[in-house]
Amino acid sequence: MSGQFIFFMLFSVTAIGGAIMMLNMERIMYMIASAAVTFLSLAGIYVLLHAEFLAFVQILIYAGAITILMIFGIVLTKHEEKREEPKRRFYHISLFAGVVGLFAVFYYVINQSAFPAVTREIAQDQTKEIGLLIYSQYVIPFELVSILLTIALIGAIIIAKREGK
Amino acid sequence: MLNSYLLLSASLFCIGLYGALSKKNAVIVLLSIELMLNAANVNIIAFSKYGINPSLTGHVFSLFSMTVAAAEVAVGIAILIMLYRNRGISDVTKMDVLKK
Amino acid sequence: MDFTISTYAWIIPLFPFVSFLILLVLGRQMKGIASTISIFAMLLATVSALLLLGETLKNEAQSYTSSVFNWLDIGDFSISFGYEVNNVNVLMLVIVTVVSLLVNVFSKGYMADDERMTVFYSYISLFTFSMLMLVISDNILQLYIFWELVGLCSFLLIGFWYQKKEAKAAAKKAFIVTRIGDIGLFIAVILLFWYMPEHMLSFTAIHNAFETNAHGFSDGMVTLVALLIFVGAVGKSGQFPLHTWLPDAMEGPTPISALIHAATMVAAGVFLVAKTYDIFLASETALLIVGTVGAFTALFAALIAIAQNDIKRILAYSTVSQLGYMMLALGLGTMAAYSAAMLHLFTHAFFKALLFLGAGSIIYALHHEQNILKMGGIGKSMKVTTWTFAIGTLALAGIFPLSGFWSKDAILAQAYEHQPVFFAAALIGVFLTAFYMSRLFFLVFTGDNRSGHTPKESPWVMTLPLIILAVLAVCAGWVAIPGIGTFNEWLVGETMEEKIHWSILIISNVVALLGIGLGYKMFRNKTASSLHEQSGNGLQTVLARKFYIDELYDLIVVKPVRGLGAFLQLWDEFIVGGLVKGSITTTRQIGKMGMRLQSGQMQVYALISVIGMLILLLIFAGRRLI
Repeated sequence: MSGQFIFFMLFSVTAIGGAIMMLNMERIMYMIASAAVTFLSLAGIYVLLHAEFLAFVQILIYAGAITILMIFGIVLTKHEEKREEPKRRFYHISLFAGVVGLFAVFYYVINQSAFPAVTREIAQDQTKEIGLLIYSQYVIPFELVSILLTIALIGAIIIAKREGK
Repeated sequence: MLNSYLLLSASLFCIGLYGALSKKNAVIVLLSIELMLNAANVNIIAFSKYGINPSLTGHVFSLFSMTVAAAEVAVGIAILIMLYRNRGISDVTKMDVLKK
Repeated sequence: MDFTISTYAWIIPLFPFVSFLILLVLGRQMKGIASTISIFAMLLATVSALLLLGETLKNEAQSYTSSVFNWLDIGDFSISFGYEVNNVNVLMLVIVTVVSLLVNVFSKGYMADDERMTVFYSYISLFTFSMLMLVISDNILQLYIFWELVGLCSFLLIGFWYQKKEAKAAAKKAFIVTRIGDIGLFIAVILLFWYMPEHMLSFTAIHNAFETNAHGFSDGMVTLVALLIFVGAVGKSGQFPLHTWLPDAMEGPTPISALIHAATMVAAGVFLVAKTYDIFLASETALLIVGTVGAFTALFAALIAIAQNDIKRILAYSTVSQLGYMMLALGLGTMAAYSAAMLHLFTHAFFKALLFLGAGSIIYALHHEQNILKMGGIGKSMKVTTWTFAIGTLALAGIFPLSGFWSKDAILAQAYEHQPVFFAAALIGVFLTAFYMSRLFFLVFTGDNRSGHTPKESPWVMTLPLIILAVLAVCAGWVAIPGIGTFNEWLVGETMEEKIHWSILIISNVVALLGIGLGYKMFRNKTASSLHEQSGNGLQTVLARKFYIDELYDLIVVKPVRGLGAFLQLWDEFIVGGLVKGSITTTRQIGKMGMRLQSGQMQVYALISVIGMLILLLIFAGRRLI
């Protein structure tokens, strides 16, 4: 029972717990808060995976930016908090069956596959290495992503700003 | 150890899928989709550490996917706001103009 | 090559056709001058027809046949559109154009206050065009086409006052009853096509084939073809047993009755038999049947005419009866009888048109009163109408020296020579004709005025045609005065030995005079009160109800057909309709199932794709395991 495993258990339980809470909460604000818990736990998972830079980015983007954006979305679109009417029973049953089936397939595949146990340490100075990779080997995808972000920014503004005439 | 991460990712993905398909609120649906993306990221990073050929490429890739996710959320929320403004709905089950 | 009008005969029908087109297209704008256009076109046609007649008279014209264009090419067989000019055709051309012109002029007065005058004139033009084309057709198929077209025009014109229920019913009746005959003719055309050498359908080819006995028909087939053609003629010419439509057709405007249902279209049946006479000559049985039907119809219709009270219906039955005479003559099977039939057709066209137009003039003056019991005393106030009508009556009755006398006498003489039974029937017919015409005449023109209107003489556009027709009714027969007239030679193209039967001349005249005398004694100077005492005894009722033919048809044809129709309607509604509705419902249900899939719900779509992916995965995994 290594410390790594304990932390893994801790983070994964909070992540899954947060996700389940997100689906079951009554109020939307709580839902988003639970999602934020999940995102933070995932950052912890990243740290366990020796991806400190990504963990940082995860906290910054997901727990920060995206959650805030979601709250904006909630605030800007009014929500009458009605309980879901049980009309779509058949739909929900088949949905549940489908999701469970999918998970079963995943589980089966993961258990069936044998992965070689390679434990090689990757670079110590991660942030620097990633930076070098981005600006050398992956410079073109990086630039493309920056263009994508710019377009998304402009597009989002234009879409949201256009007043109904 | 890899199996544990993969199972974690699979559970998160399935929960996200369930959320995306069962929730009526468009914002929560978006959030569930983010959850699925995160699950994918976990997968990628786990493989970049425990895979056959560990390297930093997985980190870079998940970085990109986070960026794309951020862009997607921004545009998605913008569309939702627009839709709400024009048609007064934020319920995905009522967004069925495609039918007509 | 000399200039001959006969090569341009095809122009004659084009005048009314152009008039029809003009009226059809521009009719609404030119309401005022519609009649003028039509009359002018008809005048041109008449003049050309008369010129053509002059030419044929002069050079004993050779018949001229020409195909204008090929209409249908089927393999190495082709149906052409053409025209034929020979003496019979020219005679018909003249009759049709002259009567049509006069009727056009007359209609200008008669229809003056009708809203749809333009339509009326366009119909008349179309009719005249079709009739002229029918007359100059060079093959039987073309004749059939225009045969149907005149039938259509007849339908349109009978139902011209379609606001009237009777007119509508009469139009339908005329169309359906003549249809029975048309189908016979159609089958005959098909049989001719089938058996004629090289599938020739032109009249010349038929003539040649039957004259030289070089046709491919067996004896029975000849009789069958002849009888089928005759069925067509029976339908069109209103012979027994298909005569019932003609009296009902009198619901149409009176000028139409004069043009279509007295002078021209109904004569088309006789004309058809005359055109295909070679086929009839080849079959004794067919000839006998033609003659019998003709003789029977002549008597039968004359009997009915005695008990009718509607002026136009009397004339209609008289037409049926006179057409029966022509058929009787055709049934005798000699060329002399043939020319006698054509002569009667020629003279009858004029005096019957005269009688109808005269009746029209009376009806016009009496504000559309048609019952002769409610007329009377018109003679004093309508001099022209009275005198011309009197001439028409005498001509129809066959009094010397009017035209009807000569033609009827020719028929009687031929009948006497060949079929004494027919002669007897025809002679009784003469008596009956004279009787019912005198009854009509005296009831209408003498005695008290029972109409409640003060009749006034019609305007000159109506009286002028009457006068012209009266002159023709007097003179038309003189072309064939036995021993003097050359009508027969001209028509048939061969000199024939003619015996003049003085006894018959005298007998027929005496019989006709007897008929008129009886009519005079019975119906002269009737007062209103004396008429009402007429109670119907048995015979009179039977006659008045037209031998119950309509009732009989109603019972044996109309009712069963109605029943069958009702049954078929139910069948259609429940069996066929059920099938159709069932397929509709099925399709709709399938569509609804598809529509449910297309709900527009993105989540549902996503779920379906998830499940689909799962199934695919399972399938692949399953294949791996196996």
